[in-house]
Formats: sequence, C-alpha cells, structure tokens
Amino acid sequence: MKPLPPTLRTKKRYILATIEPMGIGADQKELYQAVSCALTSLFGDVRAAMISPAVIDSGPGHLILRCTRGGERDLRIALSTVTVAGNDALVLRPKATSGTLHALRRRIPRVAPPEPGGPEEVSFGGKVYCARRYQGQKVDLMEKGIKSQELLFLTKDDLEE
Amino acid sequence: METWANKISLIFPILSLMTVADACVHPYPDGNSSLRRMAVEARELGFDTLVVPGAAPLTVAGVRIIPAVIISGESVRTVSGRLSKCGDGQSLVMVEAGEKGFNRAVLNLRGVHVLRGLHRTRKQSFDHVCARSAAERSIAVDIDISPLIHITGTPRQRALGRFAELMRLHNRYRFLLTVSSNARSVLHLRSVDDIVLLCSLFGMEEGDAWEALATAGHLIAPAGPVRVVS
Repeated sequence: MKPLPPTLRTKKRYILATIEPMGIGADQKELYQAVSCALTSLFGDVRAAMISPAVIDSGPGHLILRCTRGGERDLRIALSTVTVAGNDALVLRPKATSGTLHALRRRIPRVAPPEPGGPEEVSFGGKVYCARRYQGQKVDLMEKGIKSQELLFLTKDDLEE
Repeated sequence: METWANKISLIFPILSLMTVADACVHPYPDGNSSLRRMAVEARELGFDTLVVPGAAPLTVAGVRIIPAVIISGESVRTVSGRLSKCGDGQSLVMVEAGEKGFNRAVLNLRGVHVLRGLHRTRKQSFDHVCARSAAERSIAVDIDISPLIHITGTPRQRALGRFAELMRLHNRYRFLLTVSSNARSVLHLRSVDDIVLLCSLFGMEEGDAWEALATAGHLIAPAGPVRVVS
C-alpha cells in the first residue's frame, strides 16, 4: 500500500517546553496525563480531541509535545496551567513551536548539571536541607525527612547571609 | 538571556521606558522562594519589575522591586484608617475588593493605587460607576491569573466570567489594569508570553495585556507633564 502523500497527511506542530525544577522525577506517562488533564479541564473533551496532544520525547529538563496544526496556541495555554505531574510540583515552560522535529531538537536547551560534589547539607531557618546548586546563582533546597519535605528556592547570596 | 524588555527596546527605542511588571508576588517567608531567586527567575521570564508586599524599594538582579501594602478591610473606615498610616509615597497601595458599595467608596479614597481580588467578589460588584471612577482617578484594577492556573472547574469558570465582565467595562471606560501572578514560588511564576496567552482566555487582547503589564511600573510615579498646583 502506498503511503499517504504529504498533502493528504494531517499537519502537525511540535512544541518544546522546559521542565522546572531540574531533576524532577516525573516520567513521560505522568507528564502526558498532566498535560492531557490540563487541556481537557481548560478547553473540554471536544477541543482536546481536536488538538490530540502527545508527548513524543522527554529528557532531562525538557519535553517535546505534538499536536495538530491550529491547536498549538491552546496547547501552550494548557501547558502553562500544569502544576503537578505524578506527585511532583513542577512547571512546564513552552519555549518554541515548530513544524518539524528536526528544527525543534536543535533548540533543546543544554541542561547545566548540578555542581559537582553531590547534594550537600545546609542549615536554613533552623532546619536541615539537602542543597542542589546550579551554575549561576540558583540553589534548590529540599528538607531532610521522610514526608512533607519542604522545598525552598534560593540563591547563593541567600545562603551566605 | 534576551528578555522581552530588551527586545522591545531594540525594536521600538521610544518604548524603552516601558516596564513589564508582575503586580504581586509573595516571596519567602510567605512563599518558598527568596526575593532574589524570584527576581532572577522573573528576569529570565521577561519581567523587569516586581511588586512585593512588605519589601523595600530596591533593584535585585536587574529587576526593580516596588514595595506594596495590601489593605483588606470590611469597612471603608478601616481602609481609610490604614491608608493614612501607610501613605509614604513609595509603596503601591492595593485594596482588596468587596461589595459594590465598598468598591465605589474605596475608589474615591485618596492614595489607593490598585483594587485587587475582584474575582473573589460577587457578580456586578464592580459596575459601570466603579469603572468610571477608576478611569477618572487612575486607579488600576488587578487581574489575578492564579485562579486560572491553580483552580479548575466551577471556581475557574467563575473567575473567567468575572474577568470577561471586567474586560467589557474596560473596553468601554478604559480604566487601568494590572496583571499579577500572586506567585508564592518560582514554580508559580509564568512568562510574559504565557500571561498574554492566559489573558486571551477571557477576551483581553494582546495590546491590552501589554499595557496592563506595564501599568504597575508607572502607578507610583505616573508619566505626564508636570502641573503647577499653586
């Protein structure tokens, strides 16, 4: 059987989004469910079916989604309403939209790995946290404990004070 | 990183004085992110100004911090009393909206810059009389985008309805608007592009969204010719 000629194929658009905070544990399935729920609750089942979102790639700190042409604007809006995937609080920040995956893959941001030395213990506000430092000023703190661990987002200057 | 403020100043040099402000964020200890971290993230997301309740006027990581005072009172008398105590001229005074009569009275008080929290009030609590007063006295009305992000179902539908109602009045009376994320974490901050898109959900056009983002930066020292008053 002959493949469909390009003119008859459904036109797709690809959206690149970054995932924050870095090192979040959500997998591709959880991310898809989070995006799908956000899209359905915001625009309804009919519009979500027309947009037909799909997560086609995810890596450290980024996510690539596919949708039908014309649905990319609504999908971008829905992405900005995603706050949780699985059990992790996160934010998806749309960075670029393209008609080809090739063009989008070139724009995947290079993830700056946490600074060497692994998570270190720091004390802040009378509590003990695990600190994850990034290049530049950013430092993420996660409270040491078993449950309801508090997350803090600081800078190096905040820790030095 | 190239921010929206930089892009605008490159394309339209005359608009380089335009600011892009998030009209209310709550850093640590109210939230889980320090003021510096919020400023760093806000800069990356395209903002150059943040309005922070209880902060001092300063510039952090290239972002101007505008201090604010949020007044929530049940009666106009309470609001009036608190206004006289916090009128230092350096803070943005924001009053929580209430019933129709309360809003009308507050919009006639001297020293109020922003009326906020209208999505939490009843329908018709901000009517054409309030809209006209706000326009005449250059008092901005805040649009809080956090219910669009963090709430689903009926409460979000109600918030969208209230904002759409507000936009209808805005298109008629052209009062000032501000947009705030009320972020308590860097994860609650949204980029300028995202905010413009979210505002389109209730009928705010792109130009209006940009104007609303620029408003907070000019409320304390409004641009305009100097008037001789005596």
